[in-house]
Amino acid sequence: MFKKKKITLEYTIEKCSKCGTEVKRKYSDGDVLFSRCSKCTSCDGMMMIEKIFGETLEQ
Amino acid sequence: MSLVNFTNFDFDQLFAMSDDTNPLMMLIWILPIFFFVFYGQRIQLYVTSGEIKKGIKKLDGFRSESRDELINYVNKNLKPVDDPTAKINRFIDYFTIMPVEMDPNGIVDKVQHIVRSREDYTREHVRSLSPQMSDIELSKVQTLLEIASSLQMIYKIINHMYLTAKKQNNYPLILPLQMILPFIMEQSEAMKEAIPVFKKGQPVGDGIGPMVVGKMMLENQKETIAFQTSLVKSEFEGRKLFLVKADGPGSTVGRPADGLEKIVSENKIDAIIMIDAALKMEGEDSATVARGFGAAIGGIGTEKFQIEAIATSKNIPVFSIVVKQSVKEAITLMTKEIADTADDVRGQVNEMIRENTTQGQSIVIIGVGNTGGVP
Repeated sequence: MFKKKKITLEYTIEKCSKCGTEVKRKYSDGDVLFSRCSKCTSCDGMMMIEKIFGETLEQ
Repeated sequence: MSLVNFTNFDFDQLFAMSDDTNPLMMLIWILPIFFFVFYGQRIQLYVTSGEIKKGIKKLDGFRSESRDELINYVNKNLKPVDDPTAKINRFIDYFTIMPVEMDPNGIVDKVQHIVRSREDYTREHVRSLSPQMSDIELSKVQTLLEIASSLQMIYKIINHMYLTAKKQNNYPLILPLQMILPFIMEQSEAMKEAIPVFKKGQPVGDGIGPMVVGKMMLENQKETIAFQTSLVKSEFEGRKLFLVKADGPGSTVGRPADGLEKIVSENKIDAIIMIDAALKMEGEDSATVARGFGAAIGGIGTEKFQIEAIATSKNIPVFSIVVKQSVKEAITLMTKEIADTADDVRGQVNEMIRENTTQGQSIVIIGVGNTGGVP
């Protein structure tokens, strides 16, 4: 009867260019695709922002 | 004394229409028929008007919301010299008069000239709001202004059509409005939802083309090939690749046709591959990847015309790969499904290169779309 409210959650995927480890985290302001962001926790490679996307949930 | 006994109808008498039928009952049947013949259209007008009025109220809300958001953004982030409200109000009301079409010869150049003049004028006047504004901020404000301006125009047109129909009590005039309103509302809602995305500089669904090409450009030196357009020269399995996309991460679509023209004038090109977002049909799944022939590029058509003209004059085949999505998905934050297609599209580009060219040949790959958030 009542329309469900839709909310979009913003995510950033970081990927290690060396070992391929992927980390999904909440989007933070200033995130830009393909920018290097942090050191990989599994190897000594650098993590790069691979994707920025939104997932819609109904409340 | 009661004239009609409402609790005790004689149904035989009521439906039989025989000679002994109550004349009062006959009147009760006949009067509504006459009433609806003469006033039915007006009743329908009132019912439909209610629906349209609700839509117009929503559109009014969207346009004022988008305007306020733009003014707040400029005041908060760009530290303008003076109060920007009056200037922004003026920009929002700017209109574009398209050239006369009676003699279509040369019409594309005329349209391109008018559209580019408008873009250049807006850019310079947006810059005057705050002289220290970076190019990325400038493109953001320009896009937000474009959204506010479009919402204002949509509201004005729909309101005009509604008020005219109402003034003339003209139901047939209100019918097309009732039919197009759901489409208009869908587009307007999408534009309203796009505002925070462009403000944050996040990638939109339309950015899938530049996203794929942008990733192929990594580790190579970028050069400017045309206004707000980048080129990277690269290699793939013995072929020379010319990768073209709009300059990111600002919100722009660049001028890929000008870029292509320059590349073709200096090199022998054997194929053009274009990657873009395309509107999905109702019932089609979002984020479906499809391949085809021809220039995959939207907009008012001037870029497409220019690309087709170059390809035809040099006899270069044009291939395209599109990622299907809705209007809303194209201008709001990229969905996970669309972002996940990037690797698949890249694979299909490689396959297309192998299938259609041989070693030693040169290919131009154009990532078409808005580069907001895509460097």
